[in-house]
Amino acid sequence: MSGSRLPPQPAEVIDRAAPVDFTWNGKPLSGFAGDTIASALVGNGVRIVSRSMKYHRPRGYMTADYWDPNGLVQVGDDPNVRSGHRLLTADMEVSAQNVWPSLEHDVKAASRLVGRFLTAGFYYKTFMRPQRLWPAYEKILATFAPGGRIDLETPHGYHDKRYAHPDVVVAGGGPAGMAAAVAAATAGASVMLVEHGHALGGHLLWGGADDRSLAAELRDAVDAAGVEVITNSTVTGRYEDNWVAIVQRSHPVAVERLIKARSKVLIAAPGLIERPYVFEGNDKPGVMLSGAVRRLINMYGVRPGESAVVFSANADGDAAADDLERAGIHVASLVDARRGETVVAARGPAKSVKTVELGDGSKVHADLLVTATGWTAPTSLMNMAGDRPVYNESAARFVSATRIDNVLACGGLAGDGSLDQLVAHAQATGRLAADRAAVVHHRIQSHTARARSVEGDEPPWPDDSREPLPLDPHPALFRSSTHGIVDFSEDVGSKDLVAAANEGYDSVELLKRFTTATMGPAQGKLETVNTVAVLAEARSETIAEVGTTVWRPPYAPITLGALGGRIFEPVRVSSIQPWHETNGAVPILAGAWIRPEHYGDAAAEVRNTRANVGITDVTPLGKLDLRGPDVPRLLSQLYTNKWMKLPIGSVRYGIMCAEDGVVLDDGVTGRLGEEHYLMTTTSSGAGTIWEWAENWLQTEHPEWQVHVTPVTTGFTSINVAGPNARELVGHLTDIDLDPAVFEYMRVRTGTVAGISNCFMWRIGFTGELSYELHVPSGHGLHVWEALLDAGTDLGVAAFGLEAQRIMRLEKGHFIVGQDTDGLTKAPTTGMDSLIKLDKPDFAGKPELVWAADADLPRIVAIQTANPREVPIEAAQIVRAGSNEILGRITSSRMSPTLKRSICLGQVPESLAVGGTELTVVMGDGRRIKARVMEHHAHFDPEGERLRG
Amino acid sequence: MAEFESPVLKEYPTGGGDLQLADMSATTKLLVRSDLEQFGVGFGASAHVGEALVCGSRPGEWLLMGEAGDCAGAADRVNTGGFTNVIDHTHSRALFRLTGARATSVLEKLCGLDWTDSMTPDGAVVSASVAKVNSDIIRNDTGIAGNATGGQPSYLIACDRSFGQYLFDVLMDAGTEFDLTVTS
Repeated sequence: MSGSRLPPQPAEVIDRAAPVDFTWNGKPLSGFAGDTIASALVGNGVRIVSRSMKYHRPRGYMTADYWDPNGLVQVGDDPNVRSGHRLLTADMEVSAQNVWPSLEHDVKAASRLVGRFLTAGFYYKTFMRPQRLWPAYEKILATFAPGGRIDLETPHGYHDKRYAHPDVVVAGGGPAGMAAAVAAATAGASVMLVEHGHALGGHLLWGGADDRSLAAELRDAVDAAGVEVITNSTVTGRYEDNWVAIVQRSHPVAVERLIKARSKVLIAAPGLIERPYVFEGNDKPGVMLSGAVRRLINMYGVRPGESAVVFSANADGDAAADDLERAGIHVASLVDARRGETVVAARGPAKSVKTVELGDGSKVHADLLVTATGWTAPTSLMNMAGDRPVYNESAARFVSATRIDNVLACGGLAGDGSLDQLVAHAQATGRLAADRAAVVHHRIQSHTARARSVEGDEPPWPDDSREPLPLDPHPALFRSSTHGIVDFSEDVGSKDLVAAANEGYDSVELLKRFTTATMGPAQGKLETVNTVAVLAEARSETIAEVGTTVWRPPYAPITLGALGGRIFEPVRVSSIQPWHETNGAVPILAGAWIRPEHYGDAAAEVRNTRANVGITDVTPLGKLDLRGPDVPRLLSQLYTNKWMKLPIGSVRYGIMCAEDGVVLDDGVTGRLGEEHYLMTTTSSGAGTIWEWAENWLQTEHPEWQVHVTPVTTGFTSINVAGPNARELVGHLTDIDLDPAVFEYMRVRTGTVAGISNCFMWRIGFTGELSYELHVPSGHGLHVWEALLDAGTDLGVAAFGLEAQRIMRLEKGHFIVGQDTDGLTKAPTTGMDSLIKLDKPDFAGKPELVWAADADLPRIVAIQTANPREVPIEAAQIVRAGSNEILGRITSSRMSPTLKRSICLGQVPESLAVGGTELTVVMGDGRRIKARVMEHHAHFDPEGERLRG
Repeated sequence: MAEFESPVLKEYPTGGGDLQLADMSATTKLLVRSDLEQFGVGFGASAHVGEALVCGSRPGEWLLMGEAGDCAGAADRVNTGGFTNVIDHTHSRALFRLTGARATSVLEKLCGLDWTDSMTPDGAVVSASVAKVNSDIIRNDTGIAGNATGGQPSYLIACDRSFGQYLFDVLMDAGTEFDLTVTS
């Protein structure tokens, strides 16, 4: 490869004193700081950088910027890197993608031999039948899939997220964007200026001295105005209410940052994007757009070719010819489209241009063909706000047709004119944006309780009195007399489009989806208008009649990392968590709670609790502080049983139903004082029941005086269970534990381990003598450790969630959500005595009255005939000798206490009789016999231990 | 009485940088719920009542923060007519203070609200999701007793105690790029 660096150029952005080494397909090369990968490669004489997606034709740079469809490369383990945009860094390993065995000799190029069979729709038509072969097709097609390599071992990068509320977001940091931003900021608006490229300036960056001087002047003004500038970033979408998504690639810490900006006014100033021309050989390496040539020469000082033909329809093409000559590159021919001259074909071997065939039949020797045939206005952000662009025949481009209150266009998107005209229009746009933003700001601020108060009435909505920009006439150049590539990303040619149109895909939206034209990485920025023009030609209609496709978000392809951003996964822990972690607890995630499932041996924890005493952390139990004179009314409304006469110091169990009578939650509530209660809910039901209570208070009974306050983690909850529980707790509390005065289902307040304001309930989920301590959480760990210290001689040990679940199953206590489901009505629980249909009202009562005679399933305790057989939870209970499903096992374990299988299950009421024989289908399909128990409890059915 | 155990137990780099995060979970917090106006502090605003900070955290709800005695003093001034309750929330809520010129930048990474001075001035009180945790956030540049801020932007962030460690971790992570350090 020969070096292609030019002598220093006046506008160059590279630092020739700072060489940067990198590799290209394993070969060591060198560029300079400030180079893009593209400029560094071209500077090293590289002309072929990729192969086309479908036909694997050699491709070189065409736009040499972010949008270059031929410039996707692999950088290290990063696939699909836009080499026309990504800056070169030291030791970059750059390689071509999807080629084998090499870029120069790509075997996949053999697909060109069957190219004429690979027209649009080939996949849809070919691989539909026979359907059974799809897995085989899939494997073969996967080997031809485009794109780079993904290394699944690569750690996920730090993708950040930020929320912003600027008055004005300006999308585009060219002269118009900068001028608009300065004007808006000067008018008092907070402004965020977002530039796609690495520096502000837009096309001024590769322009002449006057252009660069204006760019510098505007940049200084931007700095002075206090505008927040975000370069190397893209406004990828505009959504409802000007919610603007910005992908920032320039963050110092994050790989990418998604900025969610709630902009009061959005200014779209993306400039214009140069459009390729369709002709035979237009995708050969050596065919470039004028902007690419000017960037490469002026900004990076590299030589794009040796001898050029310039096909120009505008001043930029002329400027490219000037730049080429100034750089010492021979301009073999300037083909002026304004004089009706044209280019027909670029010819030569597959990998380069040798001659250019002109419209008059002449042939010019050249290795570089530069085209400047017009512009596409990227109206995407306007489209996203509801605008539908219309075709302007004179200017030969689509332009915005709708004025949108909070999305304003300026720069090339709004029209043409001199730089002075564009800047003046942009300044007016900035002022208008600031004025409109001020109105929106006034409205929001005056309606926000926390905001600083605003004075005066809302100002009137400022009218748009901007002088419209002119639209300069431009030759309509889309396709020559020959066919060529239209979508370079997707390898879709004009012949494909014509064929598709002839097949009936003659609506532009259908054509797009059938051929995939405009759907590649360039997202239609280069190819949409040419696609429409070719379709118009095929339909013998005008471009205006065909219309264009709708540009939707994203403006530019966006990485999944940027979309995912930082992953927030809140977790909750109790104050005892440090002890759990240091004592071998195996964690289990229950909702957002991290809980100890066990400490190594759940069965041993059960045995110790039954024999001695165990303590367990039950902090996640929902806890609601209830205060007020009408708490009994609320409780009566929520629970199915009666609550109007609960004595102070007593605790009562109850079931709650939704309006449909389905069990919503269960738990106990204790009366702590005259108008003070504490309700516990299941761990998972804490939030639901709070909302449920508030719903009744706020919408049904606002006249009731009740304050419901969640205090779940205000208290660390510890259950002390086992025959030695009383003695253990007695070591640490001033509460009188004498069972004669502190009976089962009572609550007391006192001091535990020196901590005052503790609540102690005598209840028990495990079936053992139990005290449930609710300790102010700032001292929860202290009390836990005090219990362990005080209970050493009593055999105290911690037990986890699994042991608790085993013991409750031994005792026959059901769990809402485990043994009940979304159809389980209250009578199914077997708690008939707690369903008081004679109450005036409670949630679910009408449905339960209606269902009183219904044959509802029942929760029953079940034992398998073979005590070693433990059915899986959800195992079916079927009718013997048939597959008729009668019910299911809802909970099952091997009981360490009883040394046999224990279960709860739901069966029809007719089978819920002690001694009834059941057939249970095991996980392996075997059918085993089981029997319905007389009681729910497998263990201590009389409750002697519980009440001891 | 045993020492208060904070929900934040991990070790973090400490220092006296420009951006600081302090764990103030031990601060006394009293929740006043009432159907009367209290302290002349409306929803979304805060004010000092004596040495305690009174925050209008929700309609009909005020959060008092400060030294135990200061809060008790403020609570004594509660208008007890109507339906009013005072609930000790000290152990229910973790409380952090984020202080420094870039404090807003940290919050912008975690919370979708508008933190500009006009929308969230000193004294403003909001409830919002911070890194997916329901939180109360009070802009408190003036500080409360024993917690001077030097007049810099400063935010008190209160969340359910059980989320305290998670939220502290998230705040520290978000502040890494701004050299956030922990201060007592």
